[in-house]
Amino acid sequence: MSTDFYNISILPFSGIIIKLCRAYTNSQEDFEDYYQEVCLQIWRSKENFREESQWSTWVYRISLNVCLTLLKKKKNNIQHFVSDSVMDEETENNYAFSDESLNLLYDAIRKLSEIDRAIIMLYLEEKPYKEIADIIGTNPNNIGVRVKRIKNRLKEILDGKIN
Amino acid sequence: MEKSIENIWKEGFLKSDALVAPKINNLYTKKSIHIIDKFKRMFRINLIAIVAFSFIFLVVSFFIGIPLTGVILFITLSVLVVINKKLLNGLESINKSVSSYEYLKTFNEWIKKQVAVNKKISTFLYPVIFASIILGFWFEKTEGTPLKERLISEIIIGFPDTYLIYGIPLIAIIILFLILGLLAFFGGRIYMWDVNIIYGRVFRKLEELMADIESLRS
Repeated sequence: MSTDFYNISILPFSGIIIKLCRAYTNSQEDFEDYYQEVCLQIWRSKENFREESQWSTWVYRISLNVCLTLLKKKKNNIQHFVSDSVMDEETENNYAFSDESLNLLYDAIRKLSEIDRAIIMLYLEEKPYKEIADIIGTNPNNIGVRVKRIKNRLKEILDGKIN
Repeated sequence: MEKSIENIWKEGFLKSDALVAPKINNLYTKKSIHIIDKFKRMFRINLIAIVAFSFIFLVVSFFIGIPLTGVILFITLSVLVVINKKLLNGLESINKSVSSYEYLKTFNEWIKKQVAVNKKISTFLYPVIFASIILGFWFEKTEGTPLKERLISEIIIGFPDTYLIYGIPLIAIIILFLILGLLAFFGGRIYMWDVNIIYGRVFRKLEELMADIESLRS
Protein backbone atom coordinates (compact mmCIF):
# COMPACT_ATOMS: atom_id res chain seq x y z
CA MET A 1 0.00 0.00 0.00
CA SER A 2 1.24 3.44 -0.80
CA THR A 3 2.09 5.22 2.45
CA ASP A 4 0.76 8.43 0.89
CA PHE A 5 -2.64 6.87 0.22
CA TYR A 6 -2.89 5.70 3.82
CA ASN A 7 -1.74 9.03 5.28
CA ILE A 8 -3.86 11.21 3.00
CA SER A 9 -7.00 9.18 2.33
CA ILE A 10 -7.40 6.81 5.27
CA LEU A 11 -5.70 8.23 8.36
CA PRO A 12 -7.87 11.40 8.51
CA PHE A 13 -10.93 9.10 8.58
CA SER A 14 -9.41 6.49 10.87
CA GLY A 15 -11.79 7.59 13.65
CA ILE A 16 -14.72 6.13 11.70
CA ILE A 17 -12.89 2.86 11.16
CA ILE A 18 -11.71 2.63 14.78
CA LYS A 19 -15.20 3.25 16.20
CA LEU A 20 -16.75 0.67 13.90
CA CYS A 21 -14.06 -2.01 14.33
CA ARG A 22 -14.31 -1.67 18.12
CA ALA A 23 -18.04 -2.46 17.92
CA TYR A 24 -17.43 -5.70 16.01
CA THR A 25 -14.44 -7.02 17.97
CA ASN A 26 -13.80 -7.93 21.55
CA SER A 27 -10.04 -7.94 21.88
CA GLN A 28 -7.17 -5.67 20.95
CA GLU A 29 -5.72 -8.32 18.65
CA ASP A 30 -8.96 -8.73 16.71
CA PHE A 31 -9.42 -4.97 16.60
CA GLU A 32 -5.98 -4.46 15.02
CA ASP A 33 -6.63 -7.27 12.50
CA TYR A 34 -9.94 -5.70 11.55
CA TYR A 35 -8.49 -2.23 11.30
CA GLN A 36 -5.74 -3.47 8.98
CA GLU A 37 -8.19 -5.46 6.86
CA VAL A 38 -10.57 -2.52 6.48
CA CYS A 39 -7.65 -0.28 5.40
CA LEU A 40 -6.53 -2.92 2.92
CA GLN A 41 -10.02 -3.27 1.44
CA ILE A 42 -10.43 0.52 1.18
CA TRP A 43 -7.18 0.68 -0.73
CA ARG A 44 -8.18 -2.20 -3.00
CA SER A 45 -11.62 -0.70 -3.67
CA LYS A 46 -10.47 2.87 -4.29
CA GLU A 47 -11.12 2.59 -8.03
CA ASN A 48 -14.83 2.13 -7.26
CA PHE A 49 -15.13 5.56 -5.64
CA ARG A 50 -17.31 7.62 -7.97
CA GLU A 51 -17.56 10.89 -5.99
CA GLU A 52 -21.33 10.43 -5.84
CA SER A 53 -21.01 10.39 -2.08
CA GLN A 54 -18.59 11.93 0.38
CA TRP A 55 -15.34 10.06 0.90
CA SER A 56 -16.19 9.63 4.60
CA THR A 57 -19.54 7.97 3.73
CA TRP A 58 -17.79 5.73 1.23
CA VAL A 59 -15.17 4.76 3.84
CA TYR A 60 -18.00 4.01 6.26
CA ARG A 61 -19.72 1.72 3.74
CA ILE A 62 -16.60 -0.32 3.06
CA SER A 63 -15.69 -0.48 6.76
CA LEU A 64 -19.16 -1.69 7.68
CA ASN A 65 -19.40 -4.23 4.86
CA VAL A 66 -15.97 -5.62 5.64
CA CYS A 67 -16.74 -5.86 9.39
CA LEU A 68 -20.04 -7.63 8.70
CA THR A 69 -18.39 -10.37 6.67
CA LEU A 70 -14.97 -10.80 8.23
CA LEU A 71 -13.94 -14.18 9.49
CA LYS A 72 -12.17 -14.67 12.73
CA LYS A 73 -10.26 -17.77 13.70
CA LYS A 74 -11.19 -18.93 17.15
CA LYS A 75 -8.70 -20.72 19.33
CA ASN A 76 -10.13 -24.06 18.25
CA ASN A 77 -9.33 -23.04 14.64
CA ILE A 78 -12.96 -22.94 13.53
CA GLN A 79 -13.82 -19.87 11.52
CA HIS A 80 -16.66 -17.65 12.65
CA PHE A 81 -17.95 -14.22 11.95
CA VAL A 82 -16.41 -12.29 14.82
CA SER A 83 -19.63 -10.57 15.75
CA ASP A 84 -21.15 -13.99 16.29
CA SER A 85 -18.47 -15.05 18.69
CA VAL A 86 -18.59 -11.78 20.63
CA MET A 87 -21.86 -12.92 22.11
CA ASP A 88 -20.51 -16.27 23.20
CA GLU A 89 -17.08 -15.48 24.53
CA GLU A 90 -15.83 -13.84 27.64
CA THR A 91 -14.54 -10.50 26.47
CA GLU A 92 -10.79 -10.34 26.68
CA ASN A 93 -10.22 -6.62 26.50
CA ASN A 94 -13.31 -4.49 26.35
CA TYR A 95 -11.68 -1.64 28.14
CA ALA A 96 -10.06 -0.01 25.17
CA PHE A 97 -10.84 3.54 26.27
CA SER A 98 -9.90 5.44 29.40
CA ASP A 99 -13.49 6.67 29.69
CA GLU A 100 -15.35 4.08 31.76
CA SER A 101 -18.79 5.11 30.48
CA LEU A 102 -17.68 4.73 26.88
CA ASN A 103 -16.37 1.24 27.61
CA LEU A 104 -19.72 0.29 29.14
CA LEU A 105 -21.58 1.75 26.18
CA TYR A 106 -19.42 -0.31 23.79
CA ASP A 107 -20.10 -3.43 25.86
CA ALA A 108 -23.81 -2.75 25.50
CA ILE A 109 -23.53 -2.07 21.75
CA ARG A 110 -21.73 -5.41 21.28
CA LYS A 111 -24.77 -7.16 22.72
CA LEU A 112 -26.93 -5.90 19.82
CA SER A 113 -27.41 -7.65 16.50
CA GLU A 114 -24.85 -6.79 13.79
CA ILE A 115 -27.23 -4.58 11.85
CA ASP A 116 -28.46 -2.80 14.99
CA ARG A 117 -24.85 -2.09 15.88
CA ALA A 118 -24.32 -0.47 12.48
CA ILE A 119 -27.49 1.61 12.82
CA ILE A 120 -26.72 2.92 16.32
CA MET A 121 -23.11 3.70 15.37
CA LEU A 122 -24.30 5.76 12.40
CA TYR A 123 -26.92 7.44 14.57
CA LEU A 124 -24.33 8.33 17.24
CA GLU A 125 -22.16 9.76 14.46
CA GLU A 126 -25.12 12.09 13.82
CA LYS A 127 -25.84 10.80 10.33
CA PRO A 128 -29.34 11.69 9.15
CA TYR A 129 -31.82 8.80 8.82
CA LYS A 130 -31.73 9.09 5.03
CA GLU A 131 -27.97 8.57 4.98
CA ILE A 132 -28.19 5.67 7.45
CA ALA A 133 -30.81 4.08 5.20
CA ASP A 134 -28.57 4.61 2.14
CA ILE A 135 -25.56 3.02 3.83
CA ILE A 136 -27.51 0.02 5.12
CA GLY A 137 -29.67 -0.18 1.98
CA THR A 138 -33.06 0.10 3.57
CA ASN A 139 -36.12 2.27 4.02
CA PRO A 140 -35.50 5.62 5.87
CA ASN A 141 -38.97 5.51 7.46
CA ASN A 142 -38.10 2.40 9.43
CA ILE A 143 -34.75 3.68 10.67
CA GLY A 144 -36.29 6.13 13.17
CA VAL A 145 -38.41 3.39 14.72
CA ARG A 146 -35.45 1.01 14.91
CA VAL A 147 -33.19 3.70 16.45
CA LYS A 148 -35.76 4.32 19.19
CA ARG A 149 -35.97 0.58 19.87
CA ILE A 150 -32.18 0.21 19.98
CA LYS A 151 -31.82 3.15 22.36
CA ASN A 152 -34.37 1.59 24.71
CA ARG A 153 -32.50 -1.70 24.56
CA LEU A 154 -29.20 0.05 25.34
CA LYS A 155 -30.83 1.88 28.26
CA GLU A 156 -32.06 -1.44 29.60
CA ILE A 157 -28.59 -2.97 29.35
CA LEU A 158 -26.92 0.08 30.89
CA ASP A 159 -29.59 0.57 33.54
CA GLY A 160 -27.92 1.82 36.70
CA LYS A 161 -24.39 1.22 35.42
CA ILE A 162 -23.70 4.79 34.36
CA ASN A 163 -24.41 7.92 36.35
CA MET B 1 -29.16 12.04 36.65
CA GLU B 2 -28.24 9.42 34.01
CA LYS B 3 -26.27 10.52 30.99
CA SER B 4 -27.82 9.99 27.57
CA ILE B 5 -26.03 7.57 25.26
CA GLU B 6 -25.41 10.49 22.89
CA ASN B 7 -23.54 12.36 25.64
CA ILE B 8 -21.55 9.29 26.68
CA TRP B 9 -20.49 8.91 23.05
CA LYS B 10 -19.54 12.54 22.53
CA GLU B 11 -17.74 13.00 25.83
CA GLY B 12 -15.97 9.64 25.61
CA PHE B 13 -14.42 10.44 22.26
CA LEU B 14 -13.25 13.90 23.39
CA LYS B 15 -10.47 12.20 25.34
CA SER B 16 -7.23 12.10 23.40
CA ASP B 17 -6.61 8.35 23.74
CA ALA B 18 -9.97 7.31 22.34
CA LEU B 19 -9.11 7.32 18.65
CA VAL B 20 -5.50 6.33 18.30
CA ALA B 21 -5.03 4.35 15.08
CA PRO B 22 -3.07 1.13 15.51
CA LYS B 23 0.30 0.92 13.80
CA ILE B 24 0.05 -0.97 10.54
CA ASN B 25 2.93 -2.87 9.03
CA ASN B 26 3.37 -4.28 5.53
CA LEU B 27 -0.28 -3.77 4.80
CA TYR B 28 0.11 -4.21 1.06
CA THR B 29 1.75 -7.58 1.39
CA LYS B 30 -0.51 -8.75 4.21
CA LYS B 31 -2.67 -11.76 3.37
CA SER B 32 -6.29 -10.72 3.47
CA ILE B 33 -8.46 -12.38 6.11
CA HIS B 34 -11.71 -11.33 4.43
CA ILE B 35 -14.10 -14.11 3.50
CA ILE B 36 -14.39 -13.05 -0.17
CA ASP B 37 -10.61 -13.04 -0.55
CA LYS B 38 -10.44 -16.42 1.15
CA PHE B 39 -12.99 -17.78 -1.33
CA LYS B 40 -10.97 -16.32 -4.21
CA ARG B 41 -7.76 -17.92 -2.95
CA MET B 42 -9.50 -21.25 -2.40
CA PHE B 43 -11.04 -21.19 -5.89
CA ARG B 44 -7.73 -20.30 -7.58
CA ILE B 45 -5.81 -23.01 -5.72
CA ASN B 46 -8.51 -25.61 -6.52
CA LEU B 47 -8.62 -24.68 -10.21
CA ILE B 48 -4.83 -24.79 -10.57
CA ALA B 49 -4.75 -28.17 -8.80
CA ILE B 50 -7.49 -29.59 -11.06
CA VAL B 51 -5.79 -28.36 -14.25
CA ALA B 52 -2.42 -29.77 -13.12
CA PHE B 53 -3.93 -33.11 -12.11
CA SER B 54 -5.96 -33.55 -15.32
CA PHE B 55 -2.88 -32.82 -17.50
CA ILE B 56 -0.59 -35.14 -15.55
CA PHE B 57 -3.20 -37.91 -15.46
CA LEU B 58 -3.86 -37.55 -19.20
CA VAL B 59 -0.18 -38.16 -19.96
CA VAL B 60 0.14 -40.98 -17.39
CA SER B 61 -3.03 -42.69 -18.66
CA PHE B 62 -1.41 -43.25 -22.09
CA PHE B 63 1.62 -44.84 -20.46
CA ILE B 64 -0.37 -47.21 -18.23
CA GLY B 65 -2.71 -48.23 -21.02
CA ILE B 66 -5.96 -46.56 -19.92
CA PRO B 67 -6.07 -43.56 -22.32
CA LEU B 68 -9.88 -43.60 -22.38
CA THR B 69 -9.97 -42.87 -18.63
CA GLY B 70 -7.43 -40.08 -19.08
CA VAL B 71 -9.30 -38.46 -21.98
CA ILE B 72 -12.74 -38.65 -20.30
CA LEU B 73 -11.34 -37.27 -17.03
CA PHE B 74 -9.48 -34.52 -18.88
CA ILE B 75 -12.63 -33.39 -20.72
CA THR B 76 -14.82 -33.61 -17.58
CA LEU B 77 -12.37 -31.71 -15.40
CA SER B 78 -11.85 -29.09 -18.12
CA VAL B 79 -15.60 -28.41 -18.11
CA LEU B 80 -15.46 -28.20 -14.31
CA VAL B 81 -12.61 -25.67 -14.50
CA VAL B 82 -14.38 -23.50 -17.11
CA ILE B 83 -17.61 -23.40 -15.05
CA ASN B 84 -15.79 -22.58 -11.81
CA LYS B 85 -13.63 -19.93 -13.51
CA LYS B 86 -16.87 -18.20 -14.51
CA LEU B 87 -18.06 -18.42 -10.89
CA LEU B 88 -14.76 -16.93 -9.76
CA ASN B 89 -15.25 -13.99 -12.14
CA GLY B 90 -18.60 -13.32 -10.45
CA LEU B 91 -16.84 -13.21 -7.10
CA GLU B 92 -14.25 -10.75 -8.41
CA SER B 93 -17.00 -8.31 -9.37
CA ILE B 94 -18.57 -8.03 -5.90
CA ASN B 95 -18.35 -4.39 -4.88
CA LYS B 96 -17.75 -3.68 -1.19
CA SER B 97 -18.57 0.02 -1.51
CA VAL B 98 -22.30 -0.35 -2.20
CA SER B 99 -24.99 -0.46 0.50
CA SER B 100 -24.77 -3.34 2.99
CA TYR B 101 -28.00 -4.82 1.64
CA GLU B 102 -26.78 -4.79 -1.96
CA TYR B 103 -23.36 -6.14 -0.94
CA LEU B 104 -24.72 -8.95 1.24
CA LYS B 105 -27.37 -9.81 -1.36
CA THR B 106 -24.80 -10.06 -4.17
CA PHE B 107 -22.49 -12.16 -2.01
CA ASN B 108 -25.33 -14.38 -0.80
CA GLU B 109 -26.56 -14.91 -4.37
CA TRP B 110 -23.04 -15.80 -5.47
CA ILE B 111 -22.70 -18.36 -2.67
CA LYS B 112 -26.09 -19.90 -3.48
CA LYS B 113 -25.25 -20.06 -7.18
CA GLN B 114 -21.84 -21.65 -6.64
CA VAL B 115 -23.28 -24.21 -4.20
CA ALA B 116 -26.15 -25.06 -6.58
CA VAL B 117 -23.84 -25.36 -9.60
CA ASN B 118 -21.24 -27.48 -7.79
CA LYS B 119 -23.93 -29.67 -6.25
CA LYS B 120 -25.27 -30.36 -9.73
CA ILE B 121 -21.74 -31.01 -11.03
CA SER B 122 -21.08 -33.44 -8.15
CA THR B 123 -24.18 -35.41 -9.19
CA PHE B 124 -22.52 -36.08 -12.54
CA LEU B 125 -18.86 -35.93 -11.58
CA TYR B 126 -18.62 -39.05 -9.39
CA PRO B 127 -20.50 -41.33 -11.84
CA VAL B 128 -18.41 -40.00 -14.75
CA ILE B 129 -15.16 -40.64 -12.86
CA PHE B 130 -16.32 -44.16 -11.99
CA ALA B 131 -17.52 -44.86 -15.54
CA SER B 132 -14.27 -43.54 -17.02
CA ILE B 133 -12.22 -45.86 -14.79
CA ILE B 134 -14.37 -48.87 -15.76
CA LEU B 135 -14.20 -48.01 -19.46
CA GLY B 136 -10.47 -47.41 -19.29
CA PHE B 137 -9.76 -50.82 -17.78
CA TRP B 138 -12.44 -52.49 -19.97
CA PHE B 139 -10.51 -51.61 -23.09
CA GLU B 140 -7.06 -51.91 -21.51
CA LYS B 141 -4.93 -54.34 -23.49
CA THR B 142 -2.55 -56.79 -21.87
CA GLU B 143 -0.44 -58.82 -24.32
CA GLY B 144 -2.65 -57.56 -27.19
CA THR B 145 -5.97 -58.77 -25.76
CA PRO B 146 -8.42 -56.27 -24.24
CA LEU B 147 -9.43 -56.99 -20.62
CA LYS B 148 -13.10 -57.25 -21.66
CA GLU B 149 -12.41 -60.24 -23.94
CA ARG B 150 -10.33 -62.04 -21.34
CA LEU B 151 -12.91 -61.37 -18.63
CA ILE B 152 -15.94 -62.41 -20.68
CA SER B 153 -14.31 -65.61 -21.93
CA GLU B 154 -13.46 -66.56 -18.34
CA ILE B 155 -17.05 -65.85 -17.22
CA ILE B 156 -18.51 -67.90 -20.04
CA ILE B 157 -16.23 -70.81 -19.22
CA GLY B 158 -17.02 -70.58 -15.49
CA PHE B 159 -20.73 -69.77 -15.83
CA PRO B 160 -21.97 -71.01 -19.24
CA ASP B 161 -25.58 -70.00 -18.48
CA THR B 162 -24.70 -66.31 -18.02
CA TYR B 163 -27.13 -64.08 -19.93
CA LEU B 164 -25.21 -61.64 -22.14
CA ILE B 165 -26.30 -58.33 -23.67
CA TYR B 166 -23.97 -57.17 -26.47
CA GLY B 167 -21.43 -59.60 -25.05
CA ILE B 168 -21.61 -58.20 -21.52
CA PRO B 169 -23.10 -60.19 -18.62
CA LEU B 170 -26.48 -58.78 -17.58
CA ILE B 171 -25.60 -58.97 -13.90
CA ALA B 172 -22.50 -56.80 -14.52
CA ILE B 173 -24.63 -54.22 -16.32
CA ILE B 174 -27.13 -54.14 -13.43
CA ILE B 175 -24.36 -53.74 -10.81
CA LEU B 176 -22.70 -51.03 -12.90
CA PHE B 177 -25.89 -49.00 -13.23
CA LEU B 178 -26.66 -49.50 -9.56
CA ILE B 179 -23.28 -48.07 -8.57
CA LEU B 180 -23.67 -45.20 -11.07
CA GLY B 181 -27.12 -44.43 -9.63
CA LEU B 182 -25.84 -44.46 -6.05
CA LEU B 183 -22.91 -42.21 -6.94
CA ALA B 184 -25.28 -39.78 -8.70
CA PHE B 185 -27.68 -39.86 -5.74
CA PHE B 186 -25.00 -39.31 -3.09
CA GLY B 187 -22.68 -37.06 -5.14
CA GLY B 188 -24.67 -33.88 -4.52
CA ARG B 189 -25.34 -34.85 -0.92
CA ILE B 190 -21.67 -35.51 -0.20
CA TYR B 191 -20.84 -32.08 -1.61
CA MET B 192 -23.52 -30.36 0.51
CA TRP B 193 -22.38 -32.22 3.61
CA ASP B 194 -18.80 -31.12 2.97
CA VAL B 195 -19.81 -27.49 2.35
CA ASN B 196 -22.01 -27.35 5.43
CA ILE B 197 -19.22 -28.59 7.68
CA ILE B 198 -16.84 -25.89 6.47
CA TYR B 199 -19.14 -22.96 5.71
CA GLY B 200 -22.49 -23.80 7.30
CA ARG B 201 -22.18 -21.23 10.04
CA VAL B 202 -21.10 -18.54 7.57
CA PHE B 203 -24.10 -19.28 5.34
CA ARG B 204 -26.50 -19.13 8.27
CA LYS B 205 -24.98 -15.85 9.46
CA LEU B 206 -25.40 -14.32 6.01
CA GLU B 207 -29.04 -15.40 5.99
CA GLU B 208 -29.55 -13.79 9.42
CA LEU B 209 -27.98 -10.52 8.30
CA MET B 210 -30.12 -10.51 5.17
CA ALA B 211 -33.28 -11.27 7.16
CA ASP B 212 -32.53 -8.42 9.57
CA ILE B 213 -32.10 -5.91 6.74
CA GLU B 214 -35.15 -7.31 4.90
CA SER B 215 -37.25 -6.63 8.01
CA LEU B 216 -36.12 -3.01 7.85
CA ARG B 217 -37.03 -2.76 4.18
CA SER B 218 -40.58 -3.99 4.54
